[in-house]
Amino acid sequence: MYYVAQVIKDECTKYNCKQCTLFCPEPNTLMYTDEGHHALVITERCKGCALCVYVCSNLLKRDSIEMVYAENRDVAGVR
Amino acid sequence: MSFRIFKINEDLKEFMPPEIIDLEEKATWGNPKRGVMDLPYSKELLEEHSLCAGCPESAAFRYILASLPNPEDTIIVNSTGCTSLVFPHIALHTVHSLFGNQNAIASGIKRTLEWRFPDKVKDVIVLAGDGAIVDIGLDCTLQSFFRQEKITTICFDNEVYANTGGQESGMTVKGHVFKMAPKGKQWDKVPMWQIAIDSGCHYVARLTVSSPKRVEQVIKKAIYVAREVGPTYVHLYTPCILEIGLNSDDGLEEMRRTDKERFKFFEYMTDAAKEVIQKKKEEGLI
Repeated sequence: MYYVAQVIKDECTKYNCKQCTLFCPEPNTLMYTDEGHHALVITERCKGCALCVYVCSNLLKRDSIEMVYAENRDVAGVR
Repeated sequence: MSFRIFKINEDLKEFMPPEIIDLEEKATWGNPKRGVMDLPYSKELLEEHSLCAGCPESAAFRYILASLPNPEDTIIVNSTGCTSLVFPHIALHTVHSLFGNQNAIASGIKRTLEWRFPDKVKDVIVLAGDGAIVDIGLDCTLQSFFRQEKITTICFDNEVYANTGGQESGMTVKGHVFKMAPKGKQWDKVPMWQIAIDSGCHYVARLTVSSPKRVEQVIKKAIYVAREVGPTYVHLYTPCILEIGLNSDDGLEEMRRTDKERFKFFEYMTDAAKEVIQKKKEEGLI
């Protein structure tokens, strides 16, 4: 019905920037894990504004977050 | 009023929602060096608010709540507007009163706390929109500055009455057209940061929320100066993406654009405030 964000794990582990977690307007929605060295989306809280995609793709040119249909999402928030 | 109110009774823990348990275990209490870099790991003091998707105001809330140096002893006074929708979701003491009298309420709370807890540090912060601080509550705001009340006033400026459909406000830029202001505004934007300086504020800053680190620095400076010297005022630009007619992912771009124009970073401090900030910098708290 609507879109939520999902992190592309293989791309995200190349960097250590955490910028998406700072610019996401929703609290505790984009978190970072030091064990896996990547960001992850708590998809139940995501409102689908795509601001993280703007930060990751347009500003930083890292293309590590994509928007997916909520029905097709990976519950872990990473792919 | 201490972070012990968030301690959960062990016998009742299995019935508590996970968010409340997170608040006890993963939130950053009791650490004056907390800041926006805790956001990727810790539990925030804000939970699933009802603001629109991509609203820059909610980002501002995240940064402000993450940078409070003393959250367990902080009281936030708010006023009517989009901001007041968020306060039921904040894990701190908040007060909501009539539209516009937020600085009068905050003055009373601060004076009572100083009298009741003379040996403790209690911060009182006003968080309200431009309608409450500049238009409807300008009297109470300025009178609190004249009286040198030790409170921090933070204004979320979205340049319009967005919550009620787009009426023109004192902060609207000359010529801007909104849904309920079809002729365009005919007068200039109120320079509230300059009025705050002239009214006796000891620390005044004007910025957008496009840089989390900068917001953290400004909020910490404002709170420390208000604690020791006198009133401080922070003017944040948080555009209403719905009323301007932008998409949900355009808020940051809009703020980055205005960073170079009318919301260029501006900071003013008196000599007494400079001393406090220098002292806190040496202590490593800013």
